[in-house]
Amino acid sequence: MFLMRFTERAYVNYTEEDVRNSPNEAVRLTFSNSNFDPAEGHYLYNMYLDEYEYSEEVGFDGLMLNEHHNTPTCLGATMNLEAAILARVTKKPKIVLLGNPLPIFDNPIRLAEELAEIDMISGGRLVSGFVRGTGVESLATNTNPLHNRARFEEAHDLVIKTWTTPGPFRWEGDHYHFRVVNPFQTPLQKPHPPVWIPGTGSPETLIWCAERNYPYIFLETDPQGTQDMKAIYAEAAREHGYEPGPENFGYLVRIHVQDTDEKAYDVGKGYMVGNIGVGRIPLPRDYASPVGYGSRSDDPRFLRLREQIRSDPFRVGGLDGAQYDSILDSKRWIIGSPETVISQLREVMSFMRPGILAVWTNDGSISHGDTMRCLELMGQEVLPALREIGEELELTDPFQKEGVMPGLTAG
Amino acid sequence: MPNFTEETISIAGGNLQVYKGGSGDPLLVLHGAGGNAGPRRYAQALAEKFTVYLPSHPGYGKSERPGWVETMQDLACFYTWYQEQEGLENVRAIGFSMGGWLAAEMLSMTGHAFSKVMLVGAAGIKPNEGEITDIFIISPQQVRDLVYHDPAQAPEWDELFGSDPTPEQAQQAEGDREMAIRLTWRPYMHNPRLPAKLGRVSIPTQIVWGENDNLVPVECAGLYQQAIAGSQVTVIPNCGHSPQIEKPDEFVKAALAFL
Repeated sequence: MFLMRFTERAYVNYTEEDVRNSPNEAVRLTFSNSNFDPAEGHYLYNMYLDEYEYSEEVGFDGLMLNEHHNTPTCLGATMNLEAAILARVTKKPKIVLLGNPLPIFDNPIRLAEELAEIDMISGGRLVSGFVRGTGVESLATNTNPLHNRARFEEAHDLVIKTWTTPGPFRWEGDHYHFRVVNPFQTPLQKPHPPVWIPGTGSPETLIWCAERNYPYIFLETDPQGTQDMKAIYAEAAREHGYEPGPENFGYLVRIHVQDTDEKAYDVGKGYMVGNIGVGRIPLPRDYASPVGYGSRSDDPRFLRLREQIRSDPFRVGGLDGAQYDSILDSKRWIIGSPETVISQLREVMSFMRPGILAVWTNDGSISHGDTMRCLELMGQEVLPALREIGEELELTDPFQKEGVMPGLTAG
Repeated sequence: MPNFTEETISIAGGNLQVYKGGSGDPLLVLHGAGGNAGPRRYAQALAEKFTVYLPSHPGYGKSERPGWVETMQDLACFYTWYQEQEGLENVRAIGFSMGGWLAAEMLSMTGHAFSKVMLVGAAGIKPNEGEITDIFIISPQQVRDLVYHDPAQAPEWDELFGSDPTPEQAQQAEGDREMAIRLTWRPYMHNPRLPAKLGRVSIPTQIVWGENDNLVPVECAGLYQQAIAGSQVTVIPNCGHSPQIEKPDEFVKAALAFL
């Protein structure tokens, strides 16, 4: 069982009215940065880094970061900078980047260099996740959404080759062209840092991951639908000659703990303004998923799954309009005293069987003080219990399972 | 009213959907980024005098996209191929919006494409003052609201937009938008090198613009006029981006006077 801690590092110093007054009433992409106060940013970046440092102290195995652009919902616009700082100031936990949005980089070689530096500074603790990015990432960086998947795959191939093939070599692809690929710095982990892929269950990506034996991290997906997604992964894995286990899957859940259920319930309401932003106003479709971004595959299996993902009322990026109590009732967020949280998690873990659990401890307007208490209780009670549950359910993680992925031999 | 037929011709390894109608000299009509609305009232009127060819661009409507058509320059290459194959070189042409940009790209490549050309609310040149509206970060509904200055004066409004699209139409609109994204994403809706290349154009060129164009600023009419020696500008007052739909009679009058 691999336990990593996550928060999106929200900025909430704006009002619903500010969002309503912005172009297309959108909290991302076009929400004016005149609503941002860098002095508050100074405070928040350092506060969030403090919390990650403390997460090592309380016993998390990994510190998970993500990246979004043009949005107050996630201050990690250049996640690799935060990762580099954590690489230096922490000693043991993996630094798990989920992930760098490959299609938006016009120069993936630079990305390969940054990640190699993080891996070396950290002593081989980097887990290098990659994502396609939301539509907002494409629009914010002027990346044609039609080419998103092709750029994702080509940039991935280029980064991996950069890490594993002695340079110099030339790269003449469809989307990337380099005359001399030969960054002098290469990652410490050989053949390269582990690659994990987070997502909400796009079948094409599941198959792509299974073909490469990359663990797939389900981001708050509907547990029932996740079984179908795992089946798609498993089928592709078997075609590639292996049987996937818990080490191939991760699950991200908002889990907040306080001394009592009542306190946790009150504090947990702070999540409601994270992620989707203050005011909880759904993003325009043309921001979240511009035409051309999605797949047009007519494989009936995929269509069914895609429909299921769309119809999930609590789907990621959304939780649009869902009421706090109904989210809690569905156990999609787990909020309570240590005892409550542990008992609910046992249920979730038994059903989902992830080898990797991403614990989204806080977000939105949850205060620093409440977050620190949450982390403390995690360390004292929840993490030890989760490790026992993991043992009992044989939830092997990628680091326990030899050869499950490249890059495990050093570090 | 002249009869229009829908034809499918095979070209460059794919099928091209073409509406054809009327009689007389050929007139090639190139539609805009929003897609081929078929032989609307303006096309019917023009077909009284000309044989009107109204193809759906590759990737639009029922036309297949040869895999190599990725940019506006590729599309221009495709259409010079089409003209050669179909014996439609040196013909009269009208290009609307992105289709105007397409016509301009063709003009910049060859002197054999057109005998006379009319560019209507044409994209392709970056305005100095304003901006070409980014239609990809607003909804299709918002785009439509910007296209028409006064929907009440568009005689075909109800026919075109009066009812909700069928699932097939919605899917078609999505495919059309995808093709527009493919062709015009970056640089957005213009080619920085186009004005210089239009220096070669010596055929009669008429530039037509709706005075109240909310998509491509009317300022671009002047920029096209500067780029194309001897070209003339007609501004249609009290009219938005698509004069051929919003003020078809006025538009047809201007077109017939020039063509």
